[in-house]
Amino acid sequence: MLCQRKTKNNVQRYFGTNNTICSKKDEQPASMHEISKETESQESVKENTKKDLLGIIKGMKIELSTVNVQTTKPSSTRQLKSVEATINKLQKAPGDAPKKRTKSLSPELVAAASAIADFLPFDKQTTKSELLRQLQQHEEVSKAQKNGGRAKISVSNIISDMKVAKSATIRVSTRPVHQIQFDEGSDDYMSQKTSDVKKSLRKNMLKGKRLNIFDLKAVTEETSETETTPSLWDIEFAKQLAAVNEQPLQNGFAEMIQWTKDGKLWEFPINNEAGFDDEGSEFHEHIFLDIHLKDFPKQGPIRHFMELVTCGLSKNPYLSVKQKIEHIEWFRNYFNEKQDILKENGIEFN
Amino acid sequence: MAAAATSRWLGFRCRLCLKLRGQRASPCGQIPCCRFYSGSATLPKVEGTNITGIEEVVIPRKKTWDKVAVLQALASTVSRDPTAAPYAFQDDPYLIPASSMESRLFLLAKKSGENAAKFIINLHPKYFQKDIAEPHIPCLMPEYFEPQIEDISEAALKERIKLKKVKASVDMFDQLLQAGTTVSLETSNSLLDLLCYYGDREPSTDNHFQQSGKSEELVKDTGENDKKSKKADDQFGVTWRAKNNAERIFALIPEKNSYSYCTMIRGMVKHRALVQALNLYAELLNNRLKADVYTFNALIEATALNMNEKSEDKWNNILELLKQMAAQKVKPNLQTFNTILKCLRRFQAFGRLPALQTFREMKAIGIGEYVSWCPSLEGTTDKTSLLSHSAENPSKGSSRIIYDIMNEITGQKFTPKDPDDDMFFQSAMRVCSFLRDLELAYQVHGLLNTGDNWKFIGPDHRRNFYYSKFFSLLCLMEQIDVTLKWYKDLVPSVFFPRSQTLIDLLQALDVANRLEVIPQIWKDSKEYGHTFRSDLKEEILMLMARDQHPPELQVAFADCAADIKSTYESQDARQTAPDWPANSLNCIAVLFLRAGRTQEAWKMLGLFRKHNKIPGNKLLNEFMDSAKASNSPAQAIEVVKLAGAFSLPICEGLTQRVMADFAISQEQKEALGNLTSLTSDSDSDSDSDISEGI
Repeated sequence: MLCQRKTKNNVQRYFGTNNTICSKKDEQPASMHEISKETESQESVKENTKKDLLGIIKGMKIELSTVNVQTTKPSSTRQLKSVEATINKLQKAPGDAPKKRTKSLSPELVAAASAIADFLPFDKQTTKSELLRQLQQHEEVSKAQKNGGRAKISVSNIISDMKVAKSATIRVSTRPVHQIQFDEGSDDYMSQKTSDVKKSLRKNMLKGKRLNIFDLKAVTEETSETETTPSLWDIEFAKQLAAVNEQPLQNGFAEMIQWTKDGKLWEFPINNEAGFDDEGSEFHEHIFLDIHLKDFPKQGPIRHFMELVTCGLSKNPYLSVKQKIEHIEWFRNYFNEKQDILKENGIEFN
Repeated sequence: MAAAATSRWLGFRCRLCLKLRGQRASPCGQIPCCRFYSGSATLPKVEGTNITGIEEVVIPRKKTWDKVAVLQALASTVSRDPTAAPYAFQDDPYLIPASSMESRLFLLAKKSGENAAKFIINLHPKYFQKDIAEPHIPCLMPEYFEPQIEDISEAALKERIKLKKVKASVDMFDQLLQAGTTVSLETSNSLLDLLCYYGDREPSTDNHFQQSGKSEELVKDTGENDKKSKKADDQFGVTWRAKNNAERIFALIPEKNSYSYCTMIRGMVKHRALVQALNLYAELLNNRLKADVYTFNALIEATALNMNEKSEDKWNNILELLKQMAAQKVKPNLQTFNTILKCLRRFQAFGRLPALQTFREMKAIGIGEYVSWCPSLEGTTDKTSLLSHSAENPSKGSSRIIYDIMNEITGQKFTPKDPDDDMFFQSAMRVCSFLRDLELAYQVHGLLNTGDNWKFIGPDHRRNFYYSKFFSLLCLMEQIDVTLKWYKDLVPSVFFPRSQTLIDLLQALDVANRLEVIPQIWKDSKEYGHTFRSDLKEEILMLMARDQHPPELQVAFADCAADIKSTYESQDARQTAPDWPANSLNCIAVLFLRAGRTQEAWKMLGLFRKHNKIPGNKLLNEFMDSAKASNSPAQAIEVVKLAGAFSLPICEGLTQRVMADFAISQEQKEALGNLTSLTSDSDSDSDSDISEGI
């Protein structure tokens, strides 16, 4: 239903610029009403007044044969003798009726209708015939009213309504592409068809026959690839990829990100370690160096001296942790070498 | 959303606190203090004697943040301001561009400034040695492009290869060989890489600068800086010469490995030596070596580009290559399939089924998951939409694959995987526009605004194309209020509309009967550089003049018409476009009349004479109405005179109206009589020129 309304809206909108066709939309409800009335009356005619029907069909036959002459359909149509044969023929050749119907409309209207049909995202033929049908019905209703409101059922109405039942069943089963459709539920049918098409295509398009060359297992299998330095090809390809989503910067922060990456900006969070890279060693390793004094005596002048050394080292930002430890090591070795002097002076160093 | 994020953050913080507290609590429970105090050497000893074992203090690891994490968090709080120019243009307010041309110039100028500075610094590095930054900023220092190692050695060769000095590297290689030194296979292979990638030509100098689409264009514009323009380096420009240095060195390498073959094949395909490439592949197979996936990609391309074969044969050859890949256990990558899809696009109608099968194969073996589908989608959608255009397939089923693809990739975030990734949104929107499916267009647009996907919209012209298509579709299918909202949101902060886009909008306004917005649209279009677009101006005038409107609206329309009139006048001064169209003259005059600006309207009549255009009947009637309203028979007669001067058939009718409606003097009657007799004489030949006019 939603889709149906949308289609109508579109039709109105496309033609908004054209004043003459705009009026069509006002008549739509009326004509729709007409249709239902006509269908009802058609049924009653069918069931109750057989004579009338025969008369109508006779008239129909005449019109049909004229159409056939024009369209050079199989000549067998002319040899039709019985009424039943005529009906059969009618049902078999659905293409004939609309031609006749459009005949009474002015060529401008037909052209306009086909123009819309070209414009709409649906089946061209369906749209065109729908539009023409609306116009036609309007024309016929007004004609009938002109004729003093006589309850005359137009031949083409019967033809079209007879088609409703028949063609609908045909289409559900075989879905011919080029068949002209003009049943009441055609809008519903359209939306149904589109979703049908979508569904079936999802099956078709992404889950159909594939090349069947590569095997999923073989492809996903992890192979130990030897680490090689990227070649010129790889580097240039990476550059191309980087250029793909290169866009002008969106805000000041994005610009600062760019500058940070270029190395033009102090890195956030801002601290005094900018540009200070000591192989991942951390703050405490730089500051708390007492831990390296375990081998030194727990007290005495050497201890005191070494504590002063570590204190100085902990305040030095220019040496790496490794260098600081080496520095302490040097003193350890130094005191080791001077053991005898130390002993002479009564200083203990184990 | 925000609340959820906050609560999550709080939760995280609480857990962090607990964790910290827990960590601290465990040692604290046993030992009240275990810090080493420098200078108080006695303390640890005392503690140590009291308690059996001292537990190590676990110092919590410093939390390291990514250097841009803070900035990224801040940047994510800034959303686009639809009332402001894009950030890239925010400089001097005077320089903020107002049309797509200006914005292009702006970006080019900015980029060229950067490049010029960089060029000078690199040309004279000795003047730019002072390093005042602390910490040191390497990217502001001159780069060295001259080789530093002077002697003849493999290290010197490596350095020259790294600096992409093609000729110097070849010379060095030759000298090394003459000296009897053997060059290692690795180095010779990287030399081959260099030679093959650039087709044995020196890479253009701008390679050292930042490479982007803009800078390339720029280099083309300011070609005098470079000895060789970028164009010459285009892959079709440089062709593979037989017996070039690459082939010579390749022959000189004593023990070639598969990499040497592969890079040769890739180079040959890149520079369109297709037959040689295929022959070399045969040689590679004969030597019982294996090609890598990149080489297969190149070979597939070579097969598809081969001129002398039919599509079907080409496709069979490609399949053959793929089977060889599978047999040699070479894993295909995304580029393999993209190359196939791109090649199949050239096969026109034949390529449709193989493309679908290839696509399914990709999906079946899960290449790159769905994210990387965008380039392949590009291949497929583009081709299929082309197909349905050419074949006029009434079912349009072939374009419908986009529905399936959209279902798969909606909500995904893309990362660049293929150089053509930035084509996706453009082609998806083209298919939407072709199918006239607004819902799908919204879906595509939603995908564009997912994560950082907007970065994939590509350079300026692609973005303009995307948004023009999107907006035209909105004008066509969407309610006018929504369309206008989009208009406010997108224009001009995202794109500058083309005149056709504005005409679409005008038509949408007309359909929705919202003509009162037109003066605003005219103002905008003037701003966006469409002042001299006569089709746009005529559309605006036609819409304004077509129907009668309430008086205040008529006044606004008349102002707008006066403005348009002034553009026509300045156009006269420029002497570029053809002069006044009769339609515009008519419309402007009518608009002046309806707004009660009679004086100007009468002046318009003078313009009709000057430019030798014919006023429409409707216009003349309106003039007569206005003359009647001001009760001035002189004006009425003036109108008749004008009509007479142009020998219009309406002249007679006008005369009768004057006779009936106005009280005119005898002289005037006589003058009128003369006029009518004149026109009836020339009536016969005037019929032909009344086709113009309203």
